[in-house]
Amino acid sequence: MRSSIAFALFAAFAAAGCSKTPDPAKAEPVLGKASDLPGHESLKVDNSHKEGPRTLSGESYIRSYLFLFGGLSPIDSQTALRGSGTTADTSLFDTWSDYLGALGMPDYREDIARSTQTNALMIAAFERIGVALCDRATEHDLKSGLTPATVFTFKKTATMPTRAEFDERFDVLHRRFLGYPAKLAPTDRGSRFFTVFSDASGTAADAGVRLTGQDAGWTAVCYGLIRHPEFHLY
Amino acid sequence: MNTRRSLLQFLGGSLAASFVPWRALADGSTASSEDFFIFVHASGGWDVMLSTDPRNTRTGLIEPPHSGNMTKTGIRLWTDAPLGDGNSSFQLVQPKGSNIVFGPAIGNLSNYASRMTLFNGLAMNTVSHPDGTIFAATGRHLAGGRVPASSVDTIIASELGTSQLLPLVSIRFPSYAVDGIDPRAIPLKVDSIGAIGKVLTRSTKYSTVATRDAVTMMLSAEAKDLAKEAFYPEPQANFGLQLDALRGILSGNLKDAFTDATLKAKYPSFAYTGTSQAVGAINAAFALEAMQRNISRCLSFAFSGFDTHTDNYDDHATSQQDMFDTIAELVKQLDSTPHPTKTGKKLADHTHILIVSEFCRTPQINLLGGRDHYPNNSAIIISPKFKGNTVIGSSDKDQLLPTAARTFASGARAPAPPDILSTLLSSAGIEPSTFVRDGEIMKEILV
Repeated sequence: MRSSIAFALFAAFAAAGCSKTPDPAKAEPVLGKASDLPGHESLKVDNSHKEGPRTLSGESYIRSYLFLFGGLSPIDSQTALRGSGTTADTSLFDTWSDYLGALGMPDYREDIARSTQTNALMIAAFERIGVALCDRATEHDLKSGLTPATVFTFKKTATMPTRAEFDERFDVLHRRFLGYPAKLAPTDRGSRFFTVFSDASGTAADAGVRLTGQDAGWTAVCYGLIRHPEFHLY
Repeated sequence: MNTRRSLLQFLGGSLAASFVPWRALADGSTASSEDFFIFVHASGGWDVMLSTDPRNTRTGLIEPPHSGNMTKTGIRLWTDAPLGDGNSSFQLVQPKGSNIVFGPAIGNLSNYASRMTLFNGLAMNTVSHPDGTIFAATGRHLAGGRVPASSVDTIIASELGTSQLLPLVSIRFPSYAVDGIDPRAIPLKVDSIGAIGKVLTRSTKYSTVATRDAVTMMLSAEAKDLAKEAFYPEPQANFGLQLDALRGILSGNLKDAFTDATLKAKYPSFAYTGTSQAVGAINAAFALEAMQRNISRCLSFAFSGFDTHTDNYDDHATSQQDMFDTIAELVKQLDSTPHPTKTGKKLADHTHILIVSEFCRTPQINLLGGRDHYPNNSAIIISPKFKGNTVIGSSDKDQLLPTAARTFASGARAPAPPDILSTLLSSAGIEPSTFVRDGEIMKEILV
């Protein structure tokens, strides 16, 4: 019995040491043609546009939010977002049911149909939820340094990050929220987010808020990614 | 490559232009952008025999409301008119000098008969709640389960209200945006006023207002840049506009003003207790506050409690009276409240109210002591641009069904919701045929 356990542990360590399985989160993007793929040499690729981006049902976003922020159930996440003890802040989040109408979800108690289009109030509701999730994630991952990290799966720099250091960490978040490397973004996204990061980091301490310095900056980046048009328009 | 991109950008621009309100494209517009519009839905299907199209005798199919099938207690304008079997129906209510005859559930709204345009005998051609509701608000019947046209409040918000922070707030009203609607006018649909306050609340403990605003501004820029690159630019461009609108909403410090407690304190004259329509009273107070602050163009909300299939018909008259009392109080407040931008004018001088339901209820009492759905209807407009003390259309005396009471371009027929919506849009300076397929303007009722 002992020998079999020892063998299993040895095998596990050996596998961990020898394996060169690429980390998908760090994989460099490779641009190529579909015809370069084995078996696709003679296949034609349908490049025609089929449908424009659109919003999905509110449930899809809520499920995505909960998945990205640690996979809690809605009721557990509600408890976590409202906080308790020294972290309690009911102004950060109410209850899911308070937002259902504004999120465009149907209310069968009142016979209210689902809204099929976004509006400014819906975007305000997504902002409120996104801000709460990001604040709590920063508090957990960066301020308290609890593991496993839910969103910010990187180490903060000792001092304020350089642009290169920012880009490296921003890429981690960009892949997590938007699903692809930041350098492939069609806009000057890195610069924009770096500006927001820098401004938020620099002003938070004077404003007397709980999250300051880099924490404030990364929280602002999180706000931007969780509400990004590419996140909402699928 | 450049040629292709130019072509795509041109096409994208053309598509984006389709979202520009028609009003913005029209020259010499006479439409006022300082008017306000209130839309009310009596949800469930009201019994017109109690108020707008009264019946107090047994004629044909009609079993009128009487002391044996409903509660008359508390109906202030009820005066007994004996039916001869021990039950009493009501005496008709005709305000002094008025052409309009009401039933007693009209309540205090009878005081405004001189400013009221009443439509009776509307051809609804449906007894389905969703279909009747959509027909009343859009002028089109459902196409399968799909809403085929924009609702009248959304059209007006799109044409006249995009400069407002909240062009259209819709509280349980059937507001829909389909085609040609500016994205800023997509109905802000909520199930209660309190929900708006909660959605707009932001904690100040974790981040600053400036940081959150900077993020929203950046996202707006991202959306607009993505739209420039996109084959389908509309969604990204619209998203950017809505992000801009959000910045305005959050900077307006609106959340505290739109709580139940604040509204009750500021407008104590509405009945919030001892009424079946307390929620409607809050909504009416909200409408008043939004107009005073000049942040909305259209306010739409619903009153409930009218789908009385069983012996809950007992309370139907009370529900109607409470609704009409609330609307009467709203009109009274509009009369005394200064217009936010027009010096010397009151809100009532520039506010237009449309009251609809999805259909009316059967002239007979069913086996359960209630009334079922019936394809006739009434509607009310109170507007300075409409002739008051006026009734259009009628229902027949034996069956309470619409009659061919007016001659339209196609001949004599009963008026229908598309005609009302077309006339209302026309009065606002909006070309109705752009949005309403079937309606005809009834010019004789416009001032």
